[in-house]
Amino acid sequence: MIKTLPHKFLLAATLVLSFSGLVHAQTAVADKELKAGAAAAPSTATLAAGDPGGSATGTISDVPVSDSKAGVTVTDVGNQVGQNKIAINFVWTLITGFLVMFMQAGFAMVEAGLCRVKNANHTYMMNFTVYACGLLAYWLIGFAIQMGGAAGNGNLGGLQPLNGEHVISLFGKTWGVWGTQGLFLSGHTYDVGVMVIFLFEMVFMDTALTIVTGACAERWKFLTFCVSSVLMGAFTYPIFGNWAWGGGWLAALGTNLGLGKGYCDFAGSGVVHAVGGLTALAVALIIGPRIGKFNRDGSPNAIIGHDISAVLIGCFILAFGWFGFNPGSTLGASAAGNLRIGSIAVNTMLAGCTGTFGALIFMWITKGKPDASMAGNGLLAGLVAITAPSGFVNTVGAAIIGAIAGVLVCLSVAFVESRMKVDDPVGAISVHGTCGLWGVLSVGLFADGKSNYGGSWNGVTGSVTGLFYGDASQLAAQIIGIGTLVGFVFSFSFVLNWLLEIFLGHRVSAESELEGLDLPEMGQLGYPEFVMKPEPAFLHLESAAAAAAVA
Amino acid sequence: MAATRQQGQSFGLFLVGLTATCAGIYEVSSGIGKIGLALGLVVLAVSLLQFFRIKPLEGEIANGVQPAGMKAIGVLITVGGWLLALFGLHLVSGVGGRMLFAILGLAVSLVGVVFILPAACNKNAIWKA
Repeated sequence: MIKTLPHKFLLAATLVLSFSGLVHAQTAVADKELKAGAAAAPSTATLAAGDPGGSATGTISDVPVSDSKAGVTVTDVGNQVGQNKIAINFVWTLITGFLVMFMQAGFAMVEAGLCRVKNANHTYMMNFTVYACGLLAYWLIGFAIQMGGAAGNGNLGGLQPLNGEHVISLFGKTWGVWGTQGLFLSGHTYDVGVMVIFLFEMVFMDTALTIVTGACAERWKFLTFCVSSVLMGAFTYPIFGNWAWGGGWLAALGTNLGLGKGYCDFAGSGVVHAVGGLTALAVALIIGPRIGKFNRDGSPNAIIGHDISAVLIGCFILAFGWFGFNPGSTLGASAAGNLRIGSIAVNTMLAGCTGTFGALIFMWITKGKPDASMAGNGLLAGLVAITAPSGFVNTVGAAIIGAIAGVLVCLSVAFVESRMKVDDPVGAISVHGTCGLWGVLSVGLFADGKSNYGGSWNGVTGSVTGLFYGDASQLAAQIIGIGTLVGFVFSFSFVLNWLLEIFLGHRVSAESELEGLDLPEMGQLGYPEFVMKPEPAFLHLESAAAAAAVA
Repeated sequence: MAATRQQGQSFGLFLVGLTATCAGIYEVSSGIGKIGLALGLVVLAVSLLQFFRIKPLEGEIANGVQPAGMKAIGVLITVGGWLLALFGLHLVSGVGGRMLFAILGLAVSLVGVVFILPAACNKNAIWKA
């Protein structure tokens, strides 16, 4: 037996030398194989003859070598594998981001189609301009507030420049409140990974902003819409976005308080849609209903939109873009559970489908006709509702979530109009606000614990699991998120727009509203060659005179 | 009124002020950043004053005066519900208790959003005339 220290040292040294020799031998074998492979790769002359089958294109010769004298090594191959993973994820995230950007066209068509001809130019212009307003605000400061402390995402190379989160200490725990890195995407945040995440997050932000234009259409002053949208892109959206996605306190409810995996919102039922819908409610309350919307006894009048074909085509454009919205939120198609992109896409489709049926059948039974605009809203309601749970549920859960959303949107539209007496020309408050909140809640109910995005979510080991699959604490985290959306985000939006009402005024003059916003606000009719027919009696001038007398 | 040149000028000034303010925040550790921040805030304030000055030119709007006091109460109740839910996170440690506080807080917030604020905003609504 080896008992003496020198003998033990000799044995250890022998083992280390043997192991390193083994490793060296293995490395030498690997390098020899790589060089043999490089030597066997198709030559330039072979490739010059053409490669119609593709079997000769893309070989070990395409791996960049760090030392041309040494040739291709294991390190070179490892580096290329890492680059490939990040490149795949970059391309995935960017392409899906482009799809989400295209949703702006869908929103424009849906909203304009549900408005009257005399406001078509104005409604389209709001949806067009909101892109510029939101993008500028987000580049200036919004992105920094939301994602300034979001470092650590392995899918996009780590995002290490985004390493500044302002935190507070409360009840013995640390809570993130807002980010601090990334203004103007300058300095150390001028980074390839940061650019990708900026584009992706920006198009989501713009979706939230455009929701508000629908609820306030046909009477919102273009100037105030611009200012309100800039401020929403700079502050309202990014603050909640940080709390949910940027390293903030809502996501940390799991690590800090053991509430599930913290607030979970895969693609933004809460962050995007509920924020947009609740802000829409806030502004719609302040701006007031359109002239002629309600009668003296409070009963509502239907003000019919001018182009149902635009509405339904717009809904399909949105459904198409949603394939970027939900599956794209994996932020990659390589590694860390990202192969669930197919499941997420199917969940999205299914929820849209059952949402359509939910609304269609509900309206058919209760009103006697399969209402086209509500069918479109049913599709959107299902898509909105599945947005948060899409990465965490199975197809059965997705179908149920969508179906409930389809019925919920019909009930909500009636409630908002008849009980709250809020005028929402396109149903944005119900589609995005109500169904967005339902989507957030459904994560806490239907998440099945089968997803695996790198073994953890929000820093808590394991898979997101809802009440029906055994974790009630996840439901608690979701309810706190809903409470934050209703209690904080709505209030913040209301106060901000209340201030805008004091300084700018939200509403156009009664005269402009009756004439239609196209000429007074935009200087041009949407359809200059149309011959306008007289509007129904409840929308005529005497209503405006009475309205002006009250004001 | 309608959209005018003055609105365009004011909005342009607002964007310049916001950009300068954000640039000042970005470089706030340096002297020039502090100057930029101050300048930006001044320009923002000027733009808000411009907005306020041209607001009356819009003319009569079809919306009644909304009682500020009632709206403030509505907002306070809405926020209060949220704070109640947060307070509950600290007060109790079990999942059930925290969920109860969260639901209670949400219910209080919804009273503000669904009942008080709509009542305030519709108090002098045009359709009641």
